[in-house]
Amino acid sequence: MTNPIKSVVIVGGGTAGWLTAGTLAAKLKKEHQGGYSVTLVESPDVPIIGVGEGTWPTMRKTLRMMGIRETDFINQCDVSFKQGAKFAKWVTGKEDDFYYHPLVLPQDFDNTNLAQHWLQSGAKRSFSDTVCYQDALCERGLAPKTIATPEYAAVANYAYHLDAGAFSSFLQKHCVETLGVKHVLDHVTSVNNLINGDIKSLNTKEAGELAGDLFIDCTGFKSLLLGKNQQVPFKPCDDILFVDKAIALHVPYQDDDSPIASHTISTGQLNGWTWDIGLPTRKGVGHVYSSHHTDDDSAYQELMEYVKQSYNAPEQLSVREIDIKAGHREVFWKRNCVAIGLSAGFLEPLEASALLLVEISAEMVAEQFPANRKTMDIVSKRFNETFLYRWQRIIDFLKLHYMLNKRNDSQFWIDHRDPATIPESLKDMLALWQFQTPWHEDFTYAKEVFPAASYQYVLYGMGFETATSPLGMSDSSKHNADILFNRNIAQANKLVSSLPSNRELLKKIRQYGMQTI
Amino acid sequence: MSKFTILDPKQHKDLQVITDRDVTYGDNHHFVPVLADELRALVAEYPVCFLKDNQTGKLGISALTGFEQGENLYLQDKNWQARYIPLHVYRQPFMVGIQGNDGEQATQDNTVVTIDLASSRVNKKEGQALFDDNGNATPYLEKISQALAKLVHGSPRTEQFIQALLDNDLIMPIQLAFPLSNGEKKSFNGIYNIDEEKLASLSGEALQSFHKKGYLQACHLILASFGQIQKLIDWKNNQ
Repeated sequence: MTNPIKSVVIVGGGTAGWLTAGTLAAKLKKEHQGGYSVTLVESPDVPIIGVGEGTWPTMRKTLRMMGIRETDFINQCDVSFKQGAKFAKWVTGKEDDFYYHPLVLPQDFDNTNLAQHWLQSGAKRSFSDTVCYQDALCERGLAPKTIATPEYAAVANYAYHLDAGAFSSFLQKHCVETLGVKHVLDHVTSVNNLINGDIKSLNTKEAGELAGDLFIDCTGFKSLLLGKNQQVPFKPCDDILFVDKAIALHVPYQDDDSPIASHTISTGQLNGWTWDIGLPTRKGVGHVYSSHHTDDDSAYQELMEYVKQSYNAPEQLSVREIDIKAGHREVFWKRNCVAIGLSAGFLEPLEASALLLVEISAEMVAEQFPANRKTMDIVSKRFNETFLYRWQRIIDFLKLHYMLNKRNDSQFWIDHRDPATIPESLKDMLALWQFQTPWHEDFTYAKEVFPAASYQYVLYGMGFETATSPLGMSDSSKHNADILFNRNIAQANKLVSSLPSNRELLKKIRQYGMQTI
Repeated sequence: MSKFTILDPKQHKDLQVITDRDVTYGDNHHFVPVLADELRALVAEYPVCFLKDNQTGKLGISALTGFEQGENLYLQDKNWQARYIPLHVYRQPFMVGIQGNDGEQATQDNTVVTIDLASSRVNKKEGQALFDDNGNATPYLEKISQALAKLVHGSPRTEQFIQALLDNDLIMPIQLAFPLSNGEKKSFNGIYNIDEEKLASLSGEALQSFHKKGYLQACHLILASFGQIQKLIDWKNNQ
C-alpha cells in the first residue's frame, strides 16, 4: 500500500488520452528526477470520436504547460480563434433574436457589479455589449490579438476552434517525442484485477501483459475500465437535457479569403440547435436534437436549410451521426482507476465543456498525483467530490440556456420550461436572482467552472428579469458605473480600429509565426 | 505615395537630392530600424532597443528618436543632432531593388539602386548631384551605393543575431516609464531589450559562439546605448 505510484497506464488515444498523457508527463518531467513512466495504449483501428472542436481559454495554459509552441499548434491543427458564443434564436426564435456569451469579463468585474447598474438604467442596450467590448469584435470577425502579441498572450481573452483529429495526432507526436510518453499500439483484450478489486494489468493482443499502478480510462463511450471493469454505474440526465442525437458535417468556404467567424454560432432550431464553427480551411457544422421531439429526416432537413445559407449544395456533403447519452458516471475515480473524457460522461457541446473537463481532470490528477496506493483513496475521494460538483454546475448552466426560452413553436422548447425538468439547485439560484444579480459569492467553490459573469451573460442575454434594488443605487456607484460604461465604448472603438480580421491574423501566423515574447 | 524607379544615368542625369534633415522630407520618425553592424557607431548617440514590426510581429533592432508617432527629437532646426546618421535614414530617397522572384533574398548580384521619384528631396535645382557631366556617379551617389550595399549585407546578419538571441531566450520586454517636467507621466509598452541577467549566465558552447561571432559585444553595446534615453527625455522636457 505504501509502494510509490510509478507507472501510469492510459487506455485510449483520442484527444482525452493524449491531453491527459501530455499534462501528466509534463508535470512529472518538470518536478521529478525519473523512475516513473507514462504509457498510452490504443487500439490501432478504433476510430476516435473527436469531440468538441471548441475549447475554453484554459487550453492556452494547458498547451503552454506541455511546452507546446502556439504557432505550431495553430498551424498544424487547423486552428482559429474563438472569443465566445453567439446564441441565435434561443429566446423568441425570431430573426433578430441573439445574444453573446463572450470570454472577456464585464468591465472591472473583480470590484464592480455592473449588472445592477445596467438594470437600473433601463436595460436598453444588450447587456454584454454594454459591459464588454468583445461583442463588437465578434460581430466584425476580428481576431483577439495582433501578430505582434506574443504566443498565448491576448488582447481580448480567447479560446480555440480546432480540428480534433489533427489535434490528437499533434499531441501524440509531442507526447512521444518530447515528453517521453510510451506509445503502445495494441488491442486491450482483457483486464486483470487484484483481489482488492484494483486493476493489476491489461492483457494486450501483441505486447502481452501491461502492468501499472494507476490506470486512466480514456476509452470513450465504452468506458472499458471504469464502467465495464470497475462497474461504476452511469447516471443519465436526459430528464434535464433532452438532446440525444447529433449529425455533423464539414462545410467548405466559398474561397480562401472567406471570413472566419471568431465565435461559435449556436442557433436554436425547432427541436434542438445547430453549431457552426469556423476553422481556417472549412466550417464544422452540426445539428443536435431530441429524437423524442423530432425524427431523423426532419432534423436532417433542418440542418440542410441551415447550411444552405452559406453553401448551396449541402446534400452532397457526407454526414456523420453521433449518439448522445447525456450524463456521467456516479464516480470518476474508483480504486486505482480514473476516467477522463467520454468514459466519465458526456453532455451536448453547448458550452464546449468536453475538452475543458478533460483538461481540468488531467490537471487535478497531475497536481495531486498520489504518492502511493494508500493516499490514492484520499485523492480519489477529493477528485470525486470536486468533479461531481463540477458536472452538476455544468448541467445546471446548460439547462439555464434552455429553461429561459420563450419559444412556443415546438414542444421541445415548451418542455424545457417545465419546472419538473429543472434541477433544484438551479431553481434555488433563480429564486435568488429574481431579486439580486449573480455575484462572486453565489459560487463558493475555489475552482468554479463557470464564473458569475457567465451566468450574468446568459441570464440578461436571454432577458431574465432581476428586480432593481428597492434601496436604489448611490450617486458615487452610479458615477463609477458610468465611467466603466464609457470606458467600454472607448475600448471597443480602439480595438475595432486596431485588430486584424481573424482570417488575416491566421494567414500571418502561417507566414511569419508568432513571437514567444 | 512612393514611386521607386531603377536609377538610370541617362534618364536621371539632371536629378539632384536635398540632404537636409527635416519634417518636410518625412524625417519625423520616432524610431529608425538599424543594423547590428551599426551598433558601434550608434551607441554614443542613440538609445537602441528591439521593436516589433506591426505587419509581421518580427523583432528588429531600432534606434529610438522620439516618444510618439511623428516626433523625432533629433531633428532640430533642419539639423539632425548626431554625428552619425543611421543608414536607413542616410539612404533616403534611395532603396535597394531586387530583380528576381517574390521573396528572394537580396544579394550583391540581384540588386539595383532605385530612387523614389515622388520624394520631395528629388528635384533638378538644389542639393547633391547624382551624376557628373560624363554620366559617372558623383562621390555622393558612391556613398549612397555603399550605404545600400551595407544594408544588403547587414540585414540577414542582423536577423541571424536576433534569432540567436531569441533561441537563447535573451530578449525581454521592458517597461519604459518616466515623468516629464510638466508632471505628465509617460509610459511605453512594446519595447524590448537584452535580458542582462540571462546574458551574464550564458555559458559553455553558447557563450563561446556568442563571443566568436561578436554577439556578446553587440549585446553590451545595446545595453550601454540605452542610457541615451535620458538625452531624449531632456530634449522632450526642453521642447
